Amino acid sequence: MNNNDNYIRFENITKAFAGQRAVNDVSFGIRKGEIHAIMGENGAGKSTLLNLLHGVHQPSNGCIYIDGKMTKFHNIHDGIVAGICKIHQEINVVSELSVMQNLMLGSELSRYGFVKKKEMIKETNEILRRLKCNFSSMDKIGPLSAGHKQMIQIARALRTNAKIISFDEPTASLSNNEVDILFEIMRDLNNQGITILYISHKLDEVLKICDRATILRDGKYINTYEIKNTSKEELIKSMVGRDVSMFAKRTKPSRVRQDKTVLKVENLCGETFKNISFDLKQSEILGFFGLVGAQRTEVMRTIFGADKKFDGKIYRKNELINNKTPNEAIKNGIAFVSENRKEEGYIKEFSNSNNIALASLSKYMERGMVSRKLKNENSINQGSYVGLYPNDPEFYTNNLSGGNAQKVILAKWLSTDADIIILDEPTKGIDVGAKTEIYKLMEEILENGKSIILVSSELTEVMGMSDKIIVMNEGKMVGELDKSDFSEKDILSDALGGN
Amino acid sequence: MKKFIKRNSRELSIVIAIVIMGVAFGIKEPIYLSGDNMKDIFEQSIIYGLMALGMTAVIISGGIDLSVGSALALICVIISKAAVGGLSPFIAILLAFAISITLGLFNGILVSNLKLQPFIATLGTMSVYRGIAYLVSDGYPVLNVPSEYRKLINGDFLNIVDTSTILFIGFALFMYFIMTKLKLGTYIYAIGGNEEAARLSGIKISSVKVKIYAIAMIGTGIAAMIQVARLGTGDPTTGQGYELNAIAAIAIGGTSMAGGRGTIVGTLLGAILFAGLRNGLIVSNVATFWQYVATGVVIIIAAYIEVIQDNFAKIFKKKGSETQGITV
Repeated sequence: MNNNDNYIRFENITKAFAGQRAVNDVSFGIRKGEIHAIMGENGAGKSTLLNLLHGVHQPSNGCIYIDGKMTKFHNIHDGIVAGICKIHQEINVVSELSVMQNLMLGSELSRYGFVKKKEMIKETNEILRRLKCNFSSMDKIGPLSAGHKQMIQIARALRTNAKIISFDEPTASLSNNEVDILFEIMRDLNNQGITILYISHKLDEVLKICDRATILRDGKYINTYEIKNTSKEELIKSMVGRDVSMFAKRTKPSRVRQDKTVLKVENLCGETFKNISFDLKQSEILGFFGLVGAQRTEVMRTIFGADKKFDGKIYRKNELINNKTPNEAIKNGIAFVSENRKEEGYIKEFSNSNNIALASLSKYMERGMVSRKLKNENSINQGSYVGLYPNDPEFYTNNLSGGNAQKVILAKWLSTDADIIILDEPTKGIDVGAKTEIYKLMEEILENGKSIILVSSELTEVMGMSDKIIVMNEGKMVGELDKSDFSEKDILSDALGGN
Repeated sequence: MKKFIKRNSRELSIVIAIVIMGVAFGIKEPIYLSGDNMKDIFEQSIIYGLMALGMTAVIISGGIDLSVGSALALICVIISKAAVGGLSPFIAILLAFAISITLGLFNGILVSNLKLQPFIATLGTMSVYRGIAYLVSDGYPVLNVPSEYRKLINGDFLNIVDTSTILFIGFALFMYFIMTKLKLGTYIYAIGGNEEAARLSGIKISSVKVKIYAIAMIGTGIAAMIQVARLGTGDPTTGQGYELNAIAAIAIGGTSMAGGRGTIVGTLLGAILFAGLRNGLIVSNVATFWQYVATGVVIIIAAYIEVIQDNFAKIFKKKGSETQGITV
C-alpha cells in the first residue's frame, strides 16, 4: 500500500460504548484530495468512525494517522485546529443573527474587544463568493433555506482553512436543486485540494459525486470500492450482506376488507397542502410516499388534530369527525407514531411502563388512583407483544436503542383502543433487525382488524408493505396506485412531480 | 433494598445532609439538638415549606410561580379583615382556600390560555397581588385578629400535635397523592419532560396547567392561615422574598428547574434542611450578613450536587436505570 493511499489512515480502530462495539477493528486509508464515501446501514458505525476522526470521541483501541502523523485529538476543537472540519447533519445556526455573525461566531475579528465589522463583512463576502452564494453577508439567517444554511456551515469550515471536510448526510434536508449546488461546491472544494469524506445512505448521490466508497457493516470494515469499477447492486449487496427485498415484505396474504371503510378523508386542506382525499379500509396498509417537502407528515398531523385543519371533511366509519386536538383524535380511535421519536414520541424522564401507559392512563386506575401494578402488567404484556428488549417496565426509554424506543412508542399506541394507526417513518434510524420486527408487527396489527397509514420515504418499504400507495408532491396528491400497479419508476416519477 | 436506595438516592442524600448538619451544629451548640429547638426548626419550615410543596408541581411541569409571596400577603390581609369583621373562623378558612384557588387559577389562565411565559406572567401577578394587598388594607397591617380564629389554627390537636403541623403534613400528603397516585401527577411530569410528546399523547395541556397553578396556590393559602393565626395580624408587607426561599427549598430537594423531574418528599426534606440551616446559623451566633452568604452557598452546593450526580449517572450508565423523574 503506497503512502498516497493513506493520507488519512485508520489503523485497527475500535470504539466501544458500554461494552457494545460501535466500530470494530476497522483499518483503511483515504487518499489525499478524493471524495470518499463511507456507507452502511443505520448503526453500521459510520457516524462513530467520523466522530473518532474529529476528536468528538477517542478510540478505545487503534490509531488514526493523518499525513503520516498519529493524531490524538481530545475534542472537536483539536480537530479543527488540525484542519479537519465537520458539516453536521442537523443544520445548526443562530437564526436571529446575520450571515456574517453566524460565520464569525466564536472567532470574531476584534480590536480591544470591539468587533471589526468592515473587515468581517469583507472576509464574509469573499467566502460567499468562493461558494457562489447569492445572499449577502448582512441577511438574517432565519428566512434562508436549508441549503443556504448549510452553505454557512461550509463557509465556516473554509474559514478555518480546513484541509479535510466531512459531510454527515448533508442532503437529508435539501431540495434536489440545492443538492446539485452542494455537489458543485463539493467538486470545487475538491479541486482546491480539500479531501472530502461523505456519509450518505443515498446510493445515487454517492455514485454521482464520489471517487471511492468504503462500506461498513455492524461496525466492521467490509471493503473499499472504486466508484467507476462498481455498481449500485454491488454496493447494496455489500452493505446489507443479504438480499434487499427480503426486509420489507408481507409474509401473510393481504385481507383488506374493501367493504369496510374505516376512515374517509375528503378534500382536506391545511396550511401547506390542498385537497387530500382518500379512503382507508379495514386491515389495509395505505402507503404515503413522497420526497422531502411533500407535506405528508403535515397531512397526518392535521388528521390527528395536532395541526389546524383549513377545510375538508373526515369521516370515521361514516360518521363525520372533527379532531381539533390529539385528545379528540385518540378518542376517535386514531393513533399517531411520530417520526421524531425523541422530540414527540416519548418522555425521556419516564420509564417504559410510564411511557407505554401515557396515552391510555384511564385504563390503569384502581379506586380512582393510578395503579403501578396494572401499568407494569400492561407494559410487560405490550412489551412482549412488540418484542421489546429489555422488556423491563422500570427501564428508562431514553436509554434504549432507537429500534426499542420505537417499540415502546408502538406499545403506547397499541395500549389505546385506536384501530387506525398512523406510522410516520416508523423505521427511520433503526437497525435492520428491528426494522424486520416492526414490519412483522405491522402485519400482526392488521390481523387484529386494525388499519395502518404508512408514511415513508423509503420506496422499498412503501412498496413492500402497502396495499395501496398515494404519492404526494409539494402538498398535492399526484398519484394513487393499487398493489398490482406498483412500479418503482412510476412512483418515483410521480413523487418527483413528473408525469 | 438496593432498588429502594437507587430510586430514592436524592432523598436519602438530603437526609444524610440533614444528619450531618444536625451533628455539626449540635457539637458547636448542644442546644441545637434539644427537642424544643427541633420543634422550632420544623415550625419555621412550615410557611415556605407549604409554598414550596405547591410550587414543586408547578416547577416539575416546567413552569414557575413567583407570585406566591405576594399572594400570601393578599390572603393574609383578606382573611384578617374577614375575621376582624366578625366572620366565623370556619368561614375565614374557607375564604382562604377560595381566594388562593382564584389567584392560582388566574396565574394558570395567563400561562395556559394567553400562552405567557410563566416567569413573566407570575412576575406580573406578583406585583398585582401585592398592590391589591395594599389597596385592601390601605397599606396598614390589619390588627387584632380574634382569638377564636387564632386558637383554631394555632392550637393543639388533642394536646399532642400543633394544628399547623397537621396542616403542613396534610398538604404534603395531598401533593404526594396528586403527584404519584392521580393521572394529573403523571401528566404534570409528562408536560415538564416533553410538552409536545405529552400533547400528542392526548394530554390536554391547557387544562392541566390551569389545575397545577390553582392547586399549587392552595399551599400558600394554608400558609397564610397559619401566618395570621401565629402573628394575629394581616400584614400587607409580609411574604417578600418568600418565593425565593420556596424555590431554594425545592432546588435543595432535587427538583430540576427545567422540569420533568423532582419529588414532593425531596421538597419536604429540602424545606426542613433549609430551616435547620437558618436556625443553626442563628443558634451558633453567626452574624446576620454571613447567614445570607452561608445560605446562598448551600443552595449553590445543592445545585452542584445535582450536576455531578447527573454526570455520575452518565458515567455509570450500564443498565440505564438511574433515578430520574417519576418512579411510580
